[in-house]
Amino acid sequence: MIRHLLKLVWNRKRANLLVAVEILLSFMVLTAVITLVVFYADNYRRPLGFEVDRIWTIGIEMNEGGGPGSVTVQSDGSATAPAADEERMRRRAQRELVQQLLLAMRDLPDVQDAAGAAIVPYGGNTWSSDIQVGGRRYRYGASAGTDELAQAMGIRVTRGRWFTAEDDGAAWRPVVINERLANEMFPGKDPVGRYLDEERPDEQTSLRMRVVGVIQDFRKDGEYSAAENFLLSRLTLDDATETVEPVRELVIRVKPGTTAAFEERAVARLRAAAPDWTFQAAPLATSRETALRVWLAPLSAIGIVAAFLLLMVAMGLTGVLWLHVTQRTKEIGLRRAKGATIVRIRRQLVGEVFVLTALAAAVGVLVVIQFPILQVFDVVSPTVYAISISASLMLLFLLTGACAWGPGRVASAIEPAEALRYE
Amino acid sequence: MLRSYLTLAWRVLSRRKFFTAISLFGICLTLVVLMVASAVLDHIFAPMVPEVRQDRTLGVFRARMTGDRRMWTSMPGYLLLDRYARNLPGVERMAIFSMPQSVYSYPGGQRVRSFLKRTDAEFWRVLDFRFVEGGPFTDQDVANGSMVAVINATTRDRFFAGEPAVGRTIEADGQRFRVVGVVPDVPILRLVSTGDIYAPLTTFKTAAYKNELMGGFGGLLLARSRDDFPAIKAEMETRLRHVPLPNGWKELVAPAESFFEMVAGNLVGGRDDERSHPERLWAVMASAAFLFALLPAVNLVNLNMSRIMERASEIGVRKAFGARARSLVGQFIVENLVLTMIGGALGFVLSWACLIGLNASGLIPYARFTMNFRIFAYGLGLAVFFGLLSGVYPAWRMSRLHPVAALKGAAR
Repeated sequence: MIRHLLKLVWNRKRANLLVAVEILLSFMVLTAVITLVVFYADNYRRPLGFEVDRIWTIGIEMNEGGGPGSVTVQSDGSATAPAADEERMRRRAQRELVQQLLLAMRDLPDVQDAAGAAIVPYGGNTWSSDIQVGGRRYRYGASAGTDELAQAMGIRVTRGRWFTAEDDGAAWRPVVINERLANEMFPGKDPVGRYLDEERPDEQTSLRMRVVGVIQDFRKDGEYSAAENFLLSRLTLDDATETVEPVRELVIRVKPGTTAAFEERAVARLRAAAPDWTFQAAPLATSRETALRVWLAPLSAIGIVAAFLLLMVAMGLTGVLWLHVTQRTKEIGLRRAKGATIVRIRRQLVGEVFVLTALAAAVGVLVVIQFPILQVFDVVSPTVYAISISASLMLLFLLTGACAWGPGRVASAIEPAEALRYE
Repeated sequence: MLRSYLTLAWRVLSRRKFFTAISLFGICLTLVVLMVASAVLDHIFAPMVPEVRQDRTLGVFRARMTGDRRMWTSMPGYLLLDRYARNLPGVERMAIFSMPQSVYSYPGGQRVRSFLKRTDAEFWRVLDFRFVEGGPFTDQDVANGSMVAVINATTRDRFFAGEPAVGRTIEADGQRFRVVGVVPDVPILRLVSTGDIYAPLTTFKTAAYKNELMGGFGGLLLARSRDDFPAIKAEMETRLRHVPLPNGWKELVAPAESFFEMVAGNLVGGRDDERSHPERLWAVMASAAFLFALLPAVNLVNLNMSRIMERASEIGVRKAFGARARSLVGQFIVENLVLTMIGGALGFVLSWACLIGLNASGLIPYARFTMNFRIFAYGLGLAVFFGLLSGVYPAWRMSRLHPVAALKGAAR
């Protein structure tokens, strides 16, 4: 049966080649969209690693000019980086001011916890880095936080502990890593207490990083972002310990029942304490809403365009198959005259289309499978590809089957006597 | 000749209405997507108020400093622009503006987030803002650090419920500004000119910015004519070669370039290549359009092929009476172009509706996507491109039909 269908398809190879190309392109579109959807849906169900309700983040811009690592050209034309001492003094003054700001926040009756952080979720800022451990290089997203951050953001520690005062003056840089990074770096072993070898040329502190705890997977960019490795290091605001990163964000958790008016009071308080700085406050829930819209807008645009494309293909394919059937009236009439039933005629037509679809899809799968093999988008896991390819295949056969069904009806309605005399 | 082709095309199209409708649907869809995309690109790159002198404006938008095993890319710093981008040969006016900072105010207890851009007074002369109320701040204001501001219409609505604002004060980020002028909203995609509140550079909370080579500012260079561009670019490059750099840093690059060149440099430029490659961005966009149009084109080719075979006997007659392959190809391409033009016209109207919807959705703040003559020209070009893409192969196949076989209608 299949061999016979293949022969029939081969006999009309010119016309069928074009149809097959169209099916192949549709398969590509279908797979691309379904992969996107499966990828996002898969991300959405994973744990986020932090809480959103009753949390405000307040960005701090210190209006320093060029930002970290600034370069100054002096009036005599020679250029210098600020002297190390000068730089250290400036950082110390900044830390002291941040400390005061946190105290001012804790002073407010609505505030439950107040913490400092380098990077906050949904913020648009990214800090990524890599590290060499045991000869392998690991990429990770990073942030840093004060001892209160876990409490303020609801970060869940699954092993070891979060930063505490006992890290003061330690001979290492205390860090926590998320479960994903822990499993990748130390599969089957307890990462707590281990050192992370590090070789980075312009590191400001020469201390080695040591894992003090493991947290639940943490995805800074929110629900739709892919699982990522994450590392948080400790921020301190007193003089005893040098920190690498300045505090760029305050994370405030308010008591239940606090209204939005809290924000204005808090910002007024901060502005009074640090008039040279600029503060950008927003509830985390609002930032989340904006961020999700930014994720979803292009996705829905792609989805709508793809849906219309597939509708167009469906209509076009139906039309083409219909014309093919009318051109083959004589052939079908002959089969009918020789006793083929309506069901068998229709089965032949749908079968031919399925053979074409299978050929096109085989080529399509060969192309698509290169993506996971070559790891073009390494955030998309092979499982996601496997699910998407199978779903696309199913939908593709459904689509072409539906397109062949209508013309199949037309074909089966052909009367043998008429058909044989058809011009 | 052409007239008879056109009449024939019309007849053919109205004969099989269902198929014409399917074809038109595909053409329309393709052209709507391509036209909306070009309207958005036009909105980002083409000259429009207040960037009306774009054809002779260059900018300094990105700077890169490289040293031993490190690289730092950002916008240029104030010092770089102030000291090295002024008085370039052939430049009429030079303006400096800051990257917009998002600042918060609480008029009536409601949070308002605005983009605050700080500029010099030249900014208002390089760009051509049409003031709704009042006027720009002056050189004097900038020199004195006066707390004055120009705001856009939306900010006026938010703070003053749309009433005249000149002379009144607004608070943003703890600073109070006296409003001196109101300008219409500039779309947020026009990175050079957009902003909610414009204040003098000297109103920054600290003066630290004045000593920085890197970070946070952009420069605009209004040349006397386009012909001066190469000289300006070369001079900027030479000057930066002589900037004294701090220890460990070896090279500073901040090209004078058009906005499109900047985007091209960022999107498709090499990491170590400071030259922008606008032609690469064009190539990327053209291939994206081609790839997108491929599926609709194959769909249309399929439909066209089937319909031609239906008309095999007509073609046979024409061939038998001595019609040449070339004129048959011409006839069919004209037919297909007529079809795509009708689709294009429909697509144009639909795109317009899409753009109005997009503007109303508020998805992109201050977006004013419009259909203009330029987009119409793009649309026409795209329709022709698509018509040829989908018409040439069927026409070629048709012209090769054997007259005898064609007359019998036995074409395969």
